[in-house]
Amino acid sequence: MAGQLRRTSKAAAIAALLAGVSYAPSASAAGTLAGTDITNVATASYETPGGTTINVDSNPVVIKVDELLDVVVDNSDPGDIATQPGDTGKVLTFQVTNSGNGNEEFTLTADVNKPGDDFDPTLVQIVLDTNGNGVYDPGVDQVYVAGTNDPALDPDESITVFVIVDTPGTPTDGDRAEVNLAAVANTGSGAPGTSFDGQGDGGGDAVVGTTGADDDDSGFLAIQAAILELIKSATVVDPFGGDKAVPGSVITYQIIANVTGSGNLINLVVSDPIPADTTYIAESITFEGTGKSDATDADEGSFNGTQISVDVGTVPAGESRTITFRVTIQ
Amino acid sequence: MIKQFIKGIIVAAAVFGGAAAMAKSNLMLDSEIFVEREVTRQDGSKATVLTEPKLVVPGDRLIFVVKYKNAGNKPASDFTITNPMPKAVAFNGTSDGLETVSVDNGKSWGFLSAMKVTTKAGAQRPATMSDVTHIRWNLKQTLAPGEGGKLIFRGVVK
Repeated sequence: MAGQLRRTSKAAAIAALLAGVSYAPSASAAGTLAGTDITNVATASYETPGGTTINVDSNPVVIKVDELLDVVVDNSDPGDIATQPGDTGKVLTFQVTNSGNGNEEFTLTADVNKPGDDFDPTLVQIVLDTNGNGVYDPGVDQVYVAGTNDPALDPDESITVFVIVDTPGTPTDGDRAEVNLAAVANTGSGAPGTSFDGQGDGGGDAVVGTTGADDDDSGFLAIQAAILELIKSATVVDPFGGDKAVPGSVITYQIIANVTGSGNLINLVVSDPIPADTTYIAESITFEGTGKSDATDADEGSFNGTQISVDVGTVPAGESRTITFRVTIQ
Repeated sequence: MIKQFIKGIIVAAAVFGGAAAMAKSNLMLDSEIFVEREVTRQDGSKATVLTEPKLVVPGDRLIFVVKYKNAGNKPASDFTITNPMPKAVAFNGTSDGLETVSVDNGKSWGFLSAMKVTTKAGAQRPATMSDVTHIRWNLKQTLAPGEGGKLIFRGVVK
């Protein structure tokens, strides 16, 4: 599996070269590769009174670059993962990046029992994105077993890790659950600066970097029994009483937020950018048939120069809310 | 001028075997690298100390000291001291600011503020410290036998 990961890294390097972007290996974000020697030699050049130019080299000073142990874990889900009570096989996606400067293996741990959230899902398994496509492929991507297939990452290399959980039957609408993934460098971790003598890649020491060689991040599951549908329509009135879209025509946009399913949709905010080549008509926002001011104030409507926004609030399933605003075609 | 030049060649040719050995004992250079590390004292206050490292990590701040001394018995004049930046080190300034730099592996030289770098797209941009490939001091004064000095520059492990 490590072989496959390295191939991915090489492919990325080739892709970068093809794209016309060349990186010197020493210029990577992780820094100079562990084991690299830094050699310094100064040269003096001078003339003797006889006019001969002489070059003199200094002694070479050699110091070795140690391995920095660093890791970054990031949840890459765009937001809460929507789930229903009793759902199985919900997928949370994380990126684990070796931000150190040597090849390093990492131990992964998932925690579904974090305090402070509304319910605890059941951990099914941790899965490595073995085929590197960023999507969980059941039966294709390898199930992670600590100590057996700890991902080995080159400096700056990332791997996508999926945490698969089941949602219990008990939580109710709006409940959230925290799912945490941690990665720890196998060589060692601890306070930044902690040194593991002789254990660095390339023969030097391994030194814990600023991340402590131990990082974690969380994603969230949210019970969303209510389902939102936004329906947008436009009505055009031209300056001559017809319905042609010509400069000067006024377009009235209507957005209907329709909530189905069960429970409530909480804190719904509907925003809509003003289309290109049109000008927003000031103070034209309506919400449920009532005009709302452009200012960000106590009423639901606002306009920030590029988009209108309506703070709809909580909508129970089975209800809908209507927003309109008007623009002029330039 | 030409005459002097020819004379120079003849002298160099005449004493070629001995010249190198004699010259080496004339001006001596000594290079040292220190690393700046922040340590916490027993009372909790922080102090920056210089240590002579064998091992460093990316981000470490290095101080390069080049000591020069005329160890011969004749004055040396108009000498330049050149230090190529090790590949894994980004230049971070000198203590005197009198250096000229090269950003093209020693082809052209000047003050950093006057240097330009050609980007991949063919445009020119002002050079920055991380572009520096070589630094050089032109020391105009004559160095009498036994006299010396030191030059200091800083770098950061990439």
